[in-house]
Amino acid sequence: MTGALDWLRRYGALLRAAWLQDLQYRASIVLWLLWGVTEPAVALGIWWAIAADGPVQGYARADFARYFFALMLVNQLTIAWDSWYLDSWIREGELNFRLARPIHPAHEAVAENIAYKARTAGMILVVWLIVAAAWPAVRLPFGAGRWALTAAAVLLAAAMRFFISFATGLLAFWTTRATAIMELHAGISLFLSGRLAPLALLPPAVARVAVFSWFPYILAFPVDLLTGAVHGAAVVRGFVGQIVWLAVWLGAYRIAWTRGLRRYGAVGG
Amino acid sequence: MTFRIPHSTLRILAALFRINVAEELQYRANFVASLLGTLFWIVTALLTLAVFFRHTTRLGDWDYWEVVVLLGVFNTLTGVIEAVLRPGIGRLAGEVKSGGLDLVLAKPVDAQGFVSFRRLDVWRFSDVVLGLVLAGYALHRLGRMPSVAQLAAFGVTLAAAVVVVYALWVALMSLAFWFVSVENLSVLFDAVYEGARYPVSAYPGALRFVFVYLIPIAWTTTIPASALTGRLEPGFALVAAAVAGVVFALTRLLWRIALKRYAGASG
Repeated sequence: MTGALDWLRRYGALLRAAWLQDLQYRASIVLWLLWGVTEPAVALGIWWAIAADGPVQGYARADFARYFFALMLVNQLTIAWDSWYLDSWIREGELNFRLARPIHPAHEAVAENIAYKARTAGMILVVWLIVAAAWPAVRLPFGAGRWALTAAAVLLAAAMRFFISFATGLLAFWTTRATAIMELHAGISLFLSGRLAPLALLPPAVARVAVFSWFPYILAFPVDLLTGAVHGAAVVRGFVGQIVWLAVWLGAYRIAWTRGLRRYGAVGG
Repeated sequence: MTFRIPHSTLRILAALFRINVAEELQYRANFVASLLGTLFWIVTALLTLAVFFRHTTRLGDWDYWEVVVLLGVFNTLTGVIEAVLRPGIGRLAGEVKSGGLDLVLAKPVDAQGFVSFRRLDVWRFSDVVLGLVLAGYALHRLGRMPSVAQLAAFGVTLAAAVVVVYALWVALMSLAFWFVSVENLSVLFDAVYEGARYPVSAYPGALRFVFVYLIPIAWTTTIPASALTGRLEPGFALVAAAVAGVVFALTRLLWRIALKRYAGASG
């Protein structure tokens, strides 16, 4: 049995290593960040033009601005690149030395995620504050309770996206096209997780189907919490959905990890 | 500042092309994969438009099928980017960092030309075909039969678009000589090029100015699509050609300046 203190020490070391590693690639990280914000920025530009003649189903220009700014932040806080890393770890045998360590490779991945997100989300937050100073449309109402709920929802969403990405990356044990599956996932999430538009603006049939998938819970729900678009029972439903789907993906990851390792014949000898 | 094309250049290009085709023919499954990827992208793009057009009838004064023509042009250019630019000049940043560029510079050929056209992912040319088919279908749905003059204008503006896209890559990759540690410069292109998926008239004024004059992606999709749908006076194609010429000359100059900074790493 290892105590909590041991884990704290381990994560301290992992986080420091991840942070310093990212420090080497500051410019690269800024480029990934830019890449991440252009999609919502372009979507906002288009909705801005569409809403020129008046609100679109209750969404005025300012609402779109708030929605997509919140989306940029939440997306950056929850994004997970792990399937790409795992794919190359498995195919090129870099998983081997990670397996030889006395700590599960997932912890290294978690630490990398935390370091990366702290840096990039911090940058977005600063930019947001500067923009908000000049542009009232993107200001958020203060509310300690709502922010606490949003923080919890973002944490759950980040965990979900981590396990989705990790489990999908593990498919590299069986196929060379694991990243293609992740691209497919990204394509579907464009619509169902609210990256393109608030879910209310999708065709009603699509929106009805979406709530039965995990997609709305990885982005749309925390974004709506942050902008104040959900209230009451919908908040509870959102958290229930997040917890259920997190459990499902955690299970999927466990199965893929144990089955995959048994198959893994180490490429690097 | 001259760009001479000696006879040997064509022979080198032909040889490179032959090697690439032979290499790619070994991986025929990649063709199916790339085709499926493109179809998935087109479907996603059409559904995206469908979401927007549920709430409007025009986007920057373009109607649905006009924007689909533009998507076709976008896909055509994506084919050129993925087949030629990304596998060729897209690798430059990594080579500046590793010093691999030494090997290129040691060759008795024009470095820019060699770096740009050394590698072809021939399968991705299917995107060019699919893009043109999509644009043609959208034109059919618009019920507009382009005149010969319009088709000629489309040809010229599309060629100009390819030159502009190429110049953007050269300009971006030249940055690698200043920011040596950045290997993923091509991401910057993807970020900016996202804006070319819609007509520039749909964007707010300041952004439109940027896309026309500063980062000239308006010339890559909006202009050729406009030529095809008849929004553009065919004579305007000459302006597009001039823009392409100026942009090309400027980036060639930038490349020369950038190359002077390169000190090599393996030496």
